[in-house]
Amino acid sequence: MLNPSEKAYCLALRAIRQKQYRAAIDYFDKAAPFFQENKEFGLLQETTRLLLAVRAEIAVLGNDDDIIVEEVFSDGKEAKFR
Amino acid sequence: MSQIESLTSLERLLESFLDRAVELKEERLEVLEGINRLDDIARGFLAGDDLTEDVGGWFAEHNTWLKETVLKDADRNRIALILGEIKREIRVTEDSSPAINKISKEISRWSHTSTGSGSTIDGQTPALSKLDSKPPRLVLKRGAENVVPPLSMDMPRRSIKQTPEPVSNDTIAMFGTVLERTSNLFSDIKRDREHLLSVLDDSLKSAILQQNKDALLLSGFIIYYLKQNGYMVEPYVKRLKEAENMLNSATGSTDSAKRRS
Repeated sequence: MLNPSEKAYCLALRAIRQKQYRAAIDYFDKAAPFFQENKEFGLLQETTRLLLAVRAEIAVLGNDDDIIVEEVFSDGKEAKFR
Repeated sequence: MSQIESLTSLERLLESFLDRAVELKEERLEVLEGINRLDDIARGFLAGDDLTEDVGGWFAEHNTWLKETVLKDADRNRIALILGEIKREIRVTEDSSPAINKISKEISRWSHTSTGSGSTIDGQTPALSKLDSKPPRLVLKRGAENVVPPLSMDMPRRSIKQTPEPVSNDTIAMFGTVLERTSNLFSDIKRDREHLLSVLDDSLKSAILQQNKDALLLSGFIIYYLKQNGYMVEPYVKRLKEAENMLNSATGSTDSAKRRS
């Protein structure tokens, strides 16, 4: 049915809907080989990446010392902490 | 405006863009998630799990699809094929539980209700009509073949009886199944593509990255079609051979692992 890349794209969109942008980037990266030439995919992937970069820059400029501990799950399994 | 204010403004803009982009795809996303869920359930059945309740839950959640126009033809075909798989797996008998009977009826109801355009004589779409009928089972019976070997100087022409191979599978039905799957794969890949070469490129990627044999067959078919129509296909042939080698080596390692076990 859905191949793993399609599934990852699907999960990336769902992650964006839930504002889990870092998880979305992980899924986009998984799906990337299959959707390399899909312009819409590229736009969403790069926009998400840019958003994360902007947030990182805001955190630096704002001297944001808060440590955000968030669990990231991938396919129901804990993937990493950030 | 300070740098941080500019960045915050940009952050809001990007976030809003992503929200709206996903919102536009919301309906499609729900369909894909629904099909994906049904596929997971069917795989569970094939693995021997009793997921009758999950099927019931899926029907309850997606019943509105029958009345709405959210599904494309390719989606309907995919769902019909998956439901067909499930129906074959649940094997309704007189002793079956009420839940299984209900699911079986629900699958039939789905197939009858979702018939719309492209109906056949009996009022069902070709793919959906498969739900109610047993899969076509053709049995080929043949005796040993007489094979004429190539002529050589010292060997008179004669007929050799080939060692009969056990006919364990129905090749016509098997080929039909592969052809159907390949056709569905083509429908999936071509969705956002503007040229057959892009479809071929995706198909080859799928064959290489996912070691998908159907994608390999589809790629070969497209390459031959393009060649017949005067396209330069050499680079694609090279990639096809790479994909074929990868698949063969993967299959070989699986086979040897099986032999070892």
